[in-house]
Amino acid sequence: MVVPDAVYKRVTVFSTLFAVAAVVGGFLVLDVATDRATAELSEVQPLVALAGVGLIAAGAVTYAFSTRFRADGMGNAKEETDERSDNG
Amino acid sequence: MSIERKDEHDHESWMESRDLTAIEEIYLTVLLWLDRRLRIVDYLEILENMYYKVNFQMPKSHTEQYNLDNKFWYWYPLYALGSFSTIAYVVAAISGALLGFYYAPGAGASNGTPDLAYNSITFIMTDLNFGFFLRSLHRWSAQVMVAAVFLHMLRVYFTGAYKEPRELNWIIGIVLISLTMVFGYTGYLLPWDQLAFWAGQIGVEMSLSIPLIGEWVAQLLFGGFTLSQSTVQRMYILHVFVLPFVTTGLIAVHIGIVWMQGIAEPH
Repeated sequence: MVVPDAVYKRVTVFSTLFAVAAVVGGFLVLDVATDRATAELSEVQPLVALAGVGLIAAGAVTYAFSTRFRADGMGNAKEETDERSDNG
Repeated sequence: MSIERKDEHDHESWMESRDLTAIEEIYLTVLLWLDRRLRIVDYLEILENMYYKVNFQMPKSHTEQYNLDNKFWYWYPLYALGSFSTIAYVVAAISGALLGFYYAPGAGASNGTPDLAYNSITFIMTDLNFGFFLRSLHRWSAQVMVAAVFLHMLRVYFTGAYKEPRELNWIIGIVLISLTMVFGYTGYLLPWDQLAFWAGQIGVEMSLSIPLIGEWVAQLLFGGFTLSQSTVQRMYILHVFVLPFVTTGLIAVHIGIVWMQGIAEPH
């Protein structure tokens, strides 16, 4: 989806910001729920742990979703190649 | 009615011109709403502007300049090793300065009783809040710096970046990698535990093995032919007083020359 340059900048900046915050925050929450992965299984708080994993996933999804938006002249990642089609 | 020319953000008409799904439209609207209030992108652009003013030219990449087919890109991460070394050095300097508030260089007779230096390390590691973290940070950044400096040297060599007109900076780099290793060695001896003691013993014997000037070198660096309080004290002064000034100054010159000459392009 090609968007104006100014929009592309805003999408990139804020998506990255959200993704980083969500992934880092997700790990923090997960650490709290599992006492930094040292808690006994019975001590783990399942809801909080799931919330942490969910946050991490949300960050990843946000980042992945943001890559749909491209500025004019940008290729698609899947179309990129270093090979030239004219034998050099 | 303003006579200002409308930019694409005065209205949302560009959105209608595109085939956006509901999710995409909501997503974009939220982000634009946020940025119109926080202006983060504007601030980043100011930073970007400052960057270009400091580096008053952004030369073409060599692949553009020489019209090479773009096969050199995989070198680029290796071009970050110099700044990576510098960052590791800064982290080590800051954490080291903080450790200096708690460490004391002192060794009694080598009869097996723990000495002042070792006790201060024990205090840092067990009693001091964040002491374990601080010392670990210092040790890791030191290890990382040695590794990064070495890999940086390999990169410079294999991309030919040491060639004319950059020979002087290569020489300075050789001096810097040596200073880095001396930094590592002097710091290694400071805890004055078994590891440090025997590493010091090896150092003394290596010094003594040098023809003609061996005894003089051992006296100068280790304060004698056997390890003693003088050894710890000299290692400490080298580590916190002599080397920081010399190394920091040389790094500044090293980076300054890179800044003046520009990044080397491979040939």
